[in-house]
Amino acid sequence: MAEEILDKVRDVVEGEIDFKGQKRAELIGTLLLAITGLIAFNVGWVKQDIVLAMYLGGAGTALSFIAVVPPWPFYNKDPAKWLPVGSGLTVG
Amino acid sequence: MHNSLNRLQSVFGFFTTVAFTLGCLIALTDLWAERTPSGVIKATNTQVVKGRPHYYSSKKEEYAIIKFSLDADLSSLFTWNTKQLFVYVTAEWPAPEAGMNATNEAVIWDSIITNPSADHLVNLGPIGKKKLKASAGGKSIAPERGLLKLKNQKPKYQISHPSGKIASAEDVTLKVHYNVQPWFGLLTWNTQSDIGRWKSFAGGVSDQFSLPAVKVKDDKKKP
Repeated sequence: MAEEILDKVRDVVEGEIDFKGQKRAELIGTLLLAITGLIAFNVGWVKQDIVLAMYLGGAGTALSFIAVVPPWPFYNKDPAKWLPVGSGLTVG
Repeated sequence: MHNSLNRLQSVFGFFTTVAFTLGCLIALTDLWAERTPSGVIKATNTQVVKGRPHYYSSKKEEYAIIKFSLDADLSSLFTWNTKQLFVYVTAEWPAPEAGMNATNEAVIWDSIITNPSADHLVNLGPIGKKKLKASAGGKSIAPERGLLKLKNQKPKYQISHPSGKIASAEDVTLKVHYNVQPWFGLLTWNTQSDIGRWKSFAGGVSDQFSLPAVKVKDDKKKP
């Protein structure tokens, strides 16, 4: 019982995702941050308010962290199909 | 990107790149903003007195107290990237004899003018700070704070000279300087000539005047 819980905790903390999920995470993180930077600059410039630009940048960065760091189910949709254990040629 | 720690590092790494790029872009917008500072400065009352540099000093030095009037328009220096503006007035005079410092320059007055985005940083008491913040009226930029109108302003600093002699100095001029301190980018001072959209200071130098002789204490004779 205790071991099962510990296993689950470890899975959540390590947050491993599948290969396609890794590619997706990379793309989403890069896009979100780049767009955040552009929005922060442009809105700040139009409104002539540097504090607003800073808050927009901070909010976008926080959003990027939330979207990318946790192992959302979205990143585990295509688990690699490994061969079953013992399916290889047995020696002997 | 296979586990959480790895993704954390990767997102943070790219965040630093974005933040740096954003900072550079904001710094570059300064070059786009026109700077057209202008001002008229005039010495209104000059006085030279004898005094000691500190209480226990046996040496007596001459100190010049130069009152001045300043009418300046520095409003164009306030942009979204301006954190605060440092304005200072110097007195400059040439050396009376060859072999001495070619030019003497001393600050007689200065002031820090914040943009509303930096009002929270000002070294003021709670009431003064509240008043300052309210004076912005919710605006993010306050160019009107760059309009200076000083009449017969007392200098903040009484100036002397390493030799201890300053009375009767000739060809003294007062000059207004500024230093723009931005949120992102380089510190910039007044330019000697036009640089792109940054115009040099229009005016800002007083006519030449001479400092008076040391004031003799004749107060006792008066009733």
